[in-house]
Amino acid sequence: MAFKMDQPLYSLSDEAEQKEILALWEKEKHGGLSEGNNRIPFPITFLLGLIILTAFMITMPIWGQRPTADIYVDYVALMDSAEVQSMATPEEKMNYIAKTAYAKADARRQGALERHPLAWDDLLNIAPQIKEIQSGKGKYPLDNYNVLGDRIALANFEGNFTEGGYRERKQPWWDLGYTIDVFYVSYFLITMVIVIKRLPHFSRKPNLG
Amino acid sequence: MLMKYLFAKNDEIPAGSATIFFGFSSIFWFVVGTGLGSFNAAKLAFPDWVTGTELFAFGHMRQVHVLAVIIGWISMAFGMTMMYMTPALGNTKLWSEKLGLWTVFLWNIGLSLGLLLLWMGITSGREYNDLIWPIDLVVIFGVLLPLGINVWMTIAHRKTQGIYITNWFFGACIFMVMIVFLVGQSPELFNLTGLTEAYLTFWFAHNVLGLWITPVAAAIAYYTIPKLTGNPLYSHRIGHLHFWAIIVFYSTPASHHLMSAPLPEWLKSFASVEGVLILIPAVAFVANILLTMKGKWTMFVENVETKFSITGVLLAIPLNMQGGFQQTRAINWYVHGTGWIVAHAHLALLGMSSFLEAAAVYFGLQQMLRRKLYSLTLANLHYWFFIVGFCIYWISMTIAGLIQGAGKIYEVPYIDVVVAEHPYMIARWVGGTMVFTGNVVWLFNMWMTAREGTLVPEGRYAHELAYER
Repeated sequence: MAFKMDQPLYSLSDEAEQKEILALWEKEKHGGLSEGNNRIPFPITFLLGLIILTAFMITMPIWGQRPTADIYVDYVALMDSAEVQSMATPEEKMNYIAKTAYAKADARRQGALERHPLAWDDLLNIAPQIKEIQSGKGKYPLDNYNVLGDRIALANFEGNFTEGGYRERKQPWWDLGYTIDVFYVSYFLITMVIVIKRLPHFSRKPNLG
Repeated sequence: MLMKYLFAKNDEIPAGSATIFFGFSSIFWFVVGTGLGSFNAAKLAFPDWVTGTELFAFGHMRQVHVLAVIIGWISMAFGMTMMYMTPALGNTKLWSEKLGLWTVFLWNIGLSLGLLLLWMGITSGREYNDLIWPIDLVVIFGVLLPLGINVWMTIAHRKTQGIYITNWFFGACIFMVMIVFLVGQSPELFNLTGLTEAYLTFWFAHNVLGLWITPVAAAIAYYTIPKLTGNPLYSHRIGHLHFWAIIVFYSTPASHHLMSAPLPEWLKSFASVEGVLILIPAVAFVANILLTMKGKWTMFVENVETKFSITGVLLAIPLNMQGGFQQTRAINWYVHGTGWIVAHAHLALLGMSSFLEAAAVYFGLQQMLRRKLYSLTLANLHYWFFIVGFCIYWISMTIAGLIQGAGKIYEVPYIDVVVAEHPYMIARWVGGTMVFTGNVVWLFNMWMTAREGTLVPEGRYAHELAYER
């Protein structure tokens, strides 16, 4: 059962133990079944690495997050303009507002606007709420509020305390869950490498007859 | 015969008795479960079908279908496979046939009682954990514990030095699902309500799926495929990867089932990463089994047990691709609460898991009865009704889910979504009814196998003999 550390990527077991394991695999049949000692094929290893990378990339809170109220500030500013007021239908109004606000926005804001189109009726409903927060009556800045259909609500996050004395309510791109996962996955990989490398090297195949 | 053996001495009970009773019970409950599913689907396809009776309302019938399939068909098929695979893999006999028979007896009684109560509307009201806590205690202490004792003791009394991978899963999964059932009762026992109740409900549902239904099904394939093909399992080391990845990545918070709930976001992030990482054991399992098939792919066409088994393994690919990604924030907002999830749940239970179990039940019953399958034609008919019916169901519900998702996001009036979904509800009923019909054929085929199947000589396997019909 001794660990052998001179060639850790070859095997962590000494020669005697490797031979013992191979002999057992050759001798022992589990109800007529036996097991091979083949390596994890390289494409599968690559796929496993890709899965781990993808797991962290695709689950970032930025994907699928709710729209924050601040992305519609320009919509609210434009809705009372003479151009918009002169238009006949809600569709025309929203089309104009969305295009104009989109052209003014930076790349990040543009992405948010693309993901969260707004209907004229909802804009009519949320506009007074946005104006109220803008007027200083809201305790938090606009980007701490989520738009939920036709209403605005303080986002369900508790971040760091800010200089203003309130707790930030913005969705983070990284959080405690990811930190736990980094350690969790690391421990798993380390343990699996130890478990698998304790077996005889994959180049040593049992003769299974 | 069951009653006679229940009170006989253990040594007087023929080996394999528990397997046979478990096997026929599982097929019976599969017929009942899919029959109820077909009935329920008809109610969604044809709203005027059986109205005016509270007992036959969808709200009464749905959970009876779900629990009949999970605890009746799937779990009893697991019990059946454990009764014959565990001793076979340890080159020994089952620790106690008598305990096995009592387990299957109590299981049928407890399940019948539980489903009757559900049908009457006596329920915990929590999805997948619908049974009231006294019945769940029967499940834990009257079913799972005796099953576990038999499996653990058989493993402990094995005549091999090593423990084959299938038995790692069997031993571990029974232990884990008992913990899941115990913790799952806490909302009822401690009056937990609101968000805590919702969270524990889906912690239970997640872990019943991930620590029982799918890994035990996979464990079965580790037996059936090498056994049928005669090939050694491709890799012991990939087996380690599969087993430990299930333990580590599936047993995590489960909050990714409630991405829209006001749970702490970090908890969702934690669970969501793990949700994608479930692809690790899935890839390991599928690769290990498909590589074990090397040189024997003709059996996928020629041998009915291999056909069922490999279909289940192949269905694990879309199952885990869906499962891994549909829970992420980016996709969940669209598909949550739609028919997509119903399609996914059926892909897991009726697709991947059921095909693997069906293969093992076909194989095990023939071995224990020492009789060759009565009719290959009927078995193939079962397979094709099963796979075509399942695909119709799965595809139609997936499309229906995408329509519902679009309706939800773009605030389409609900009744318009209902109208748009109607053709897919009819397709769902057609598909489900095909599966049910196939299962009736299966029950008949296995019954006839027990009565008139060709006797298998000692030392031979049923699949080595030619079919006579």
